[in-house]
Amino acid sequence: MTRRIAAFFAAAVLLALALPSLAQGTLVRVTGQLLDVRNGFVYFTSGDAFKLAAAPRIADYDTGKPTTLQPRAKLFARAIIDPATKQVVELDLTTRHLADDAGYASVAQQYAQTKPTTEPAPEIVGQRISGKEVPVTFTVTVPPTTPLNSDVYISTDASNWNPQAIKMNRIDGQRYRAIRRFASGTKFFFRVTRGSWNSVERDQSGLEPAPHEFFVREVDSQGRDVTVYSWSDDRANSPQQAAPGAIPTPFNPNPFPPGGIFPPSRATPPGGFPTPRPPAQPNRPPR
Amino acid sequence: MRLRVLIALAALFASASALAVAAPTTSLDITAKSVDFFSNRYVVTADGDVRVRLSDGTLVTGQTFTMDLKLNRFLVAGDVRLDGPAVHAAGAAFAGYPDLDRSYFLPAPADPAATPERWTYYGLDWSNAHAGREQPGDAFHFPDLTGERPYIYAVGARITPKTNVLFTFPRVYTAGVYLPLPRYVVTFSANSHFYENGFQGARSDVALPFNGSEHSLTALHLRNDAFSGTYTAIDQHFVWNNDWIVASIDPLTQVQRQYNVIGFKTFSPKVQGRLFLQESAGSAGIINPPIINAAAFTEIQLNAGLRRSGLSYTQDNYFQQLLGFRTPPDELMSTAFYDPRWREHPMNAALTWTGFQNSLSKNSPISFRLRSGFGWAHDAYGEGGYVNEQPGPKSLIYHFAGGLLSTNAIKLGKGPAPYSLTAQYDRQRQWYSLPHHVDTGDGRVSLSRELFRQHVSYYVAYEVRTVGDYWGDRQLAAYPTPTDTIVTPFGTYGGQSAFRGFATSHGLSASVVYTPTQYVGVNLLLSRFYDTPGPIPGAYGQPPVQLVGDLRVRLSKQVLVDLTRSYYFNFANERWTPQFGIQFLP
Repeated sequence: MTRRIAAFFAAAVLLALALPSLAQGTLVRVTGQLLDVRNGFVYFTSGDAFKLAAAPRIADYDTGKPTTLQPRAKLFARAIIDPATKQVVELDLTTRHLADDAGYASVAQQYAQTKPTTEPAPEIVGQRISGKEVPVTFTVTVPPTTPLNSDVYISTDASNWNPQAIKMNRIDGQRYRAIRRFASGTKFFFRVTRGSWNSVERDQSGLEPAPHEFFVREVDSQGRDVTVYSWSDDRANSPQQAAPGAIPTPFNPNPFPPGGIFPPSRATPPGGFPTPRPPAQPNRPPR
Repeated sequence: MRLRVLIALAALFASASALAVAAPTTSLDITAKSVDFFSNRYVVTADGDVRVRLSDGTLVTGQTFTMDLKLNRFLVAGDVRLDGPAVHAAGAAFAGYPDLDRSYFLPAPADPAATPERWTYYGLDWSNAHAGREQPGDAFHFPDLTGERPYIYAVGARITPKTNVLFTFPRVYTAGVYLPLPRYVVTFSANSHFYENGFQGARSDVALPFNGSEHSLTALHLRNDAFSGTYTAIDQHFVWNNDWIVASIDPLTQVQRQYNVIGFKTFSPKVQGRLFLQESAGSAGIINPPIINAAAFTEIQLNAGLRRSGLSYTQDNYFQQLLGFRTPPDELMSTAFYDPRWREHPMNAALTWTGFQNSLSKNSPISFRLRSGFGWAHDAYGEGGYVNEQPGPKSLIYHFAGGLLSTNAIKLGKGPAPYSLTAQYDRQRQWYSLPHHVDTGDGRVSLSRELFRQHVSYYVAYEVRTVGDYWGDRQLAAYPTPTDTIVTPFGTYGGQSAFRGFATSHGLSASVVYTPTQYVGVNLLLSRFYDTPGPIPGAYGQPPVQLVGDLRVRLSKQVLVDLTRSYYFNFANERWTPQFGIQFLP
């Protein structure tokens, strides 16, 4: 008796589960973003074209009722396909952004009308990029002569080459570090600066190097070490560069300006207007 | 024979023309009912009666257009027509991939019974559709712009791939409103030289780039600084892959103007040159000649890469009082101070050799770097100007040699958070024809540690810097005993009398960086300096005790607020720096 009751309930459950499918026949559904509907085909952004039935029903995606929306590019749509004819009998439209249809590929493989591609394209390199945030650690080794209180920045093309885009923290006597999060797949170029384009990294020869290129891979974290050998405003014969904004000091600028006591304090440019120079006013050491 | 040559030439031209068309488009001219730019995503979209003209004249029309400027790919979709001298086709979508030199097209068969295809064009060669060739899986995907607000609304745009977009009649989102402008250029080039200018620093700078091409950019600036107030400036860039020129006038609308030109040239992979010209001139109106005064400054830099070393030549020229001084009557300048030497042009030139960084031995953590050079300086007033040399010689020759000894970061201890030690010492001697020589030294040692679990890193550093001006027997003549006490508006400072041309600075610094989350970071730097001679506010020296705090908070994906403030412990009546430093950064 118990077995009969269990069998009855099992049959009832199976019937309940199967009913909706039976009610809908064997129609197949596929969801995606539209490119176009024309000449009897509906095109999705996958590039697949599905054949339209003679008079397909156009309905609202959420309510299933008739809609004023007309099929056009960028709209999201659910195509209901009759497997028997392989034609789209109903198109449900919405302006909402719909999530990717996990079953799209299998349906498209069976019912899309587009001719399959036969010629390989070696220039296309497949790479799965999800766009997830990846922490990227930049570590910059600066020239040992860089003052301890100097600010060092990373400037990127993604920030319109703002020379103060990413401020770094000094972590010891030689290195600075910054961590930023980028979406995987991001590709950018960067240079290391001291806050302005007058003070930017140079290579060992003193030449301006090409900007560093960086690609954010599909990994959990990424790092990039850069060594700056000199700054563009370094003068080898004046190792004690004035720090911007600092109060003058015997060291900054020092009382013995190298390069032949030059530039003299009375020379106004760069950045200023000349003032009448009193005659015979020499540079003097501090008094 | 002639026929063969003719055929060969014809074949050559034919191949050349084939090569010419198999190239990606160099520009896209877009018109539509609405052209929008989403600055956060570097995406341009266009909707309604979209017309896209490629650089070869081919016209692509459709319902909608989108281009990812950074990925350098575009898409036209909906009722697409492709029309050009060699192509007339209708389809559902057209995708351009300039980086791959390919265009992908979904033709719409006129016959409903026909089977849709996928076509691939190579470059701008429209004669072969390459049906059935494999296409990128996302070739026809639209970017997801949900939640994004356009930064610019316009009716047309000219896109130069990988460089810039010129919008016509745009409305640009500024301070909460869309500001109508005649033109606006958004530059997204990977070439940083589009962004380098010759302006002085300012408190604020709002740029209005209004003209641009593949190699140029023109921008008007609205700037504010403490000296000139609010004013306009203009700059013009010419940029190539390795060379660039920028010319600017800053301020443009003030009496005292600066005219700047910076040129950078890469002569070869191992030789570069940079030229900076600046003229400061005062004149009423923009086109009037300067009447008040004018001065100029030039700097020439030449760098050459040698075998494991580099050579650089630097020359500075100063042109003071370009107009001279008028004889009376001159209501602007008194002639009582006139000195003919004002017309002289001081100059300094130096040639420097710098070696590469070399390890002392294989696997050694210690490395060294050598440098040397010589130079010449000239000033009509006399170089030097020491008490014992009045006036100094008009010209001076000097040479120098120096070296840097430094260690890599040396780990001390084991475990997940070991200490790290770095040390360095820089020493240089510079000889002058005067004669005397100046020795400089800079030694620094730092100990650091990173506690990753606590998100803390800290270091302490000790630094000694020395400068000594050696005159031998004439030391006391060059440096006679100075006044011991100096009275300044900030107070009275003593301890100066011991100065004999030798100065020393000892500095102890400690810094801690705390980054509890990816959105917040705190950086504190405390420094204590012991200088001999002691610092004199307004004259020389640095505050003996300094504390610098830096707080960075990321408010959103695009906005990072950086607050910086310093405390000087009442040196020269200065406690906190007058104001916060606040920056909004992307």
